[in-house]
Amino acid sequence: MSITRLALQNFRKSVSTYLSLILSLAFTIMIIYNFQCIVFSDLFDTLEEPNKGYINVIIEVITVVLVFFLLFFIWYSTNVFLTRRKREIGIYVFMGLSNQRIGKLYAVETLFIGAAALVLGLGVGALLTQLFQMILLALSDISVDLHFQIALEPVLITTGIYVAVYTLFIIKGYVNIVRSSVLNMISASRRNEYVRENRLLLVGKAVLGVAILSTGFYLAVRAGGVEVIESLLAAVVLVIMGVYLLFGGFLPLLFQGFVKNKAVLYRGERTLWINNVVYRMRKNYRTYAMTCVLMLCSVTALATSFAMRNRYDNIVRFRRTYTFQILSDVPGSQEQLAGLIGRDNNILYESCVELLSLDASLVDTQFNYGNYMIVPYSQVASLAEDAGLEPLFREPAEDEVIGLSHVVLLSFITDRSDITYTINGRVLREIHDTDEPYLGYLQEIGNYLVVNDRFYDELKPLGWSVMYVYSFGIEDPENFAASKDELDAFVSAERAQGHYTGCVTIDPHDKTADWIKVLYSLCIFVFMVFVLASGSILFMKLYNDAFEERGRYKVLQKIGCSERRLRRAVSRELGCTYALPFAVMAGSAFFSVHALERLMSENLMTVYGVSVLIVLAFFLVFYRASVRLYYKNAGI
Amino acid sequence: MHSEKIVEIRNLVKDYGVKGFQTRVLKGIDLTIFSNDFIAIMGPSGSGKTTLLNILSSVDKPTLGSVLLDGRDITKLSNKELSRLRRDKIGFIFQDYNLLDTMSLKDNIALPLALNGVAGRECSRKAEELAEMFGLKDHLDKYPYQLSGGQKQRGAACRALITGPEIIFADEPTGALDSKAGKDLLDALLRVNEQGNATILMVTHDAYSASYAKDVYILSDGAMKCRISRGGSRKEFYDRIMDTQVSMGGDFT
Repeated sequence: MSITRLALQNFRKSVSTYLSLILSLAFTIMIIYNFQCIVFSDLFDTLEEPNKGYINVIIEVITVVLVFFLLFFIWYSTNVFLTRRKREIGIYVFMGLSNQRIGKLYAVETLFIGAAALVLGLGVGALLTQLFQMILLALSDISVDLHFQIALEPVLITTGIYVAVYTLFIIKGYVNIVRSSVLNMISASRRNEYVRENRLLLVGKAVLGVAILSTGFYLAVRAGGVEVIESLLAAVVLVIMGVYLLFGGFLPLLFQGFVKNKAVLYRGERTLWINNVVYRMRKNYRTYAMTCVLMLCSVTALATSFAMRNRYDNIVRFRRTYTFQILSDVPGSQEQLAGLIGRDNNILYESCVELLSLDASLVDTQFNYGNYMIVPYSQVASLAEDAGLEPLFREPAEDEVIGLSHVVLLSFITDRSDITYTINGRVLREIHDTDEPYLGYLQEIGNYLVVNDRFYDELKPLGWSVMYVYSFGIEDPENFAASKDELDAFVSAERAQGHYTGCVTIDPHDKTADWIKVLYSLCIFVFMVFVLASGSILFMKLYNDAFEERGRYKVLQKIGCSERRLRRAVSRELGCTYALPFAVMAGSAFFSVHALERLMSENLMTVYGVSVLIVLAFFLVFYRASVRLYYKNAGI
Repeated sequence: MHSEKIVEIRNLVKDYGVKGFQTRVLKGIDLTIFSNDFIAIMGPSGSGKTTLLNILSSVDKPTLGSVLLDGRDITKLSNKELSRLRRDKIGFIFQDYNLLDTMSLKDNIALPLALNGVAGRECSRKAEELAEMFGLKDHLDKYPYQLSGGQKQRGAACRALITGPEIIFADEPTGALDSKAGKDLLDALLRVNEQGNATILMVTHDAYSASYAKDVYILSDGAMKCRISRGGSRKEFYDRIMDTQVSMGGDFT
């Protein structure tokens, strides 16, 4: 019988055993394929450039994260697979097969599994693409006519990535088998995973883990200027390392302590499940750490998603403060403009404010944004009253300034405590920065500083020009087009006289911010992918463990351990498996969401709580299913 | 001496197979075990030894007949009651030790007590006491994979004894051990029995092991063929067992 036929036969026989492996590989492939499909589809064409570009960049970033996940996942699962197969195929040694041929047998068998997963993943992926896109669009609140399409590029790219990663690990497995001794092969899966580790080493690991984790948390929530990007990246790396060390050091230490303290251990079925947890700790701590990190990603993604949705609403509200804004160097046009707009629309509120445009060279500050517009305090204060907006922080003194910024998606500058401007030789301290839309849409596209009226008068002769902003909020923004002709005529007339006049009209159906909604739904998908991935990794692990436990539970039943007792021990052990990564995640997520809070300068603690609860709900479902299946597989 | 009846087997019959094609494996066995007995059951392969032990240890149910343990017919108990019976009244020693490789030897020995809700300190004390008796004192913190077969089997014997069961069922306890390890185990079991701490029923095919018992029953073709009781020295008893085996013929391995 040829190696290929033998491998095929093995594969067919054991396909049900490795079903969980095939399914999870297929799932990952399907997700990558679906994301690639979005890149190559005309789905977001309606969003127009550069927004479509933003989305594609984000999808590429997500794909990179997914590829890393695929890498780790294949690494993990092929390792499990290799250990399990080694003993079985090790028997072929006694039939006179050389290590090379056994290695080949393994490689071919693994290839079949990989191929099955690829076909399944792409097949289901192709079928579900439309559903996936439909959900994505529905979540993003964007309407596009979908049509079934299978593009070649996503298939090729997905296959390429997967084959490259998978081949790498097949080769690794092959080399591993070729190099291992017969004894090693036969005893591979029987070898006791548990070796009580040196206490000192564990303490060292635990202390180091806590230290690294705390440093990571500190870096994540530390406020700062542009260096925040670097500290965030460092925080991500440190938190991942810290979580690994925590699970590799602190938890074994804790549980070994339980095992040592017999007064604690010998209490009902506790001796059974705590010993089981310790026994598997060495093999499992990486799995715990991995699921913990994945869950952390998922909670952060969900929090980001909620925050994005919120931010989208804020941006839209910000923009829609006024429907019409006329910028002109002609003073006193407010009444005339109100008359024009009043013909077709009911004006709710209106305002006029004077601006002084300063050349960038006259302003010196840490973050130089270009030209600055200076606004006198008294005018903004009366505008706030007219438009029903929040009053300004307080009147700035002569050496103080208030910044008018707009709602941004993210800002890496999380520390705004020490900002100063040097205008015309005078140093002004920023006492407050507000994103209240005093100047509506115009506030989004320029830099505005509110200063003391006296200082404003001082500056007036230095400026390029004095401009006036006339802003109008109307009752029915949908009816904006009705006033458009009159306003256009007004602008043309002024221009004809040599004035600088422009008009901004806000269309409530404007789509330029829609890509943020897509971001929101993509984040939800990332959350789903990660939460399902972490859940299914634990699920798969427990599914496999249950078979190994069969014999042990049989013995326990023989010596009189009742089914109820065994079930209770199992549910405790499994509960522990899910609870440990969850608890560490819930703690770490507090910091990651806090970091996000600073980037978005918004309170996200409710979002944190809700996200953690959602993950908990998912995990409870996984836990229940695991326990059920465990009973069945372990024969209790 | 024969003070108290522990197990009473009456007309035990066991059939295997579907209706019409049945094989009678046990053909009406009667046996009474008294407190502090040490009984060995011998017999050639296929004689029904394992079936008998499975029924006695409530893993299997008989076709006919009854097994009274502690005055209750175990063939009529519910699963829950059987679990409790196995936990409280019976100790098991298996051929392949069946220690849990997830826990240390001490935890293995203490397991039945801990499951019974005995306080941790008491579990520890009893486990240590038994380990001392079986020469395992220095190995308590080791895991099964760090122990030899003999040590494992002595550990299993400790686990069987720790709850102070009415009776110990031992299924070929020396089957997987070399002669030295087998002798160590049997010596220890004998010691416990002689101290009046255990009633033992052992199934074995090995005449040397059987010679440690007080009575040897020979099972052949589903029925008790004869009973040999120990009179003088063990050497003499061993010779008598061998003679009976030879006279009966058959494969005893």
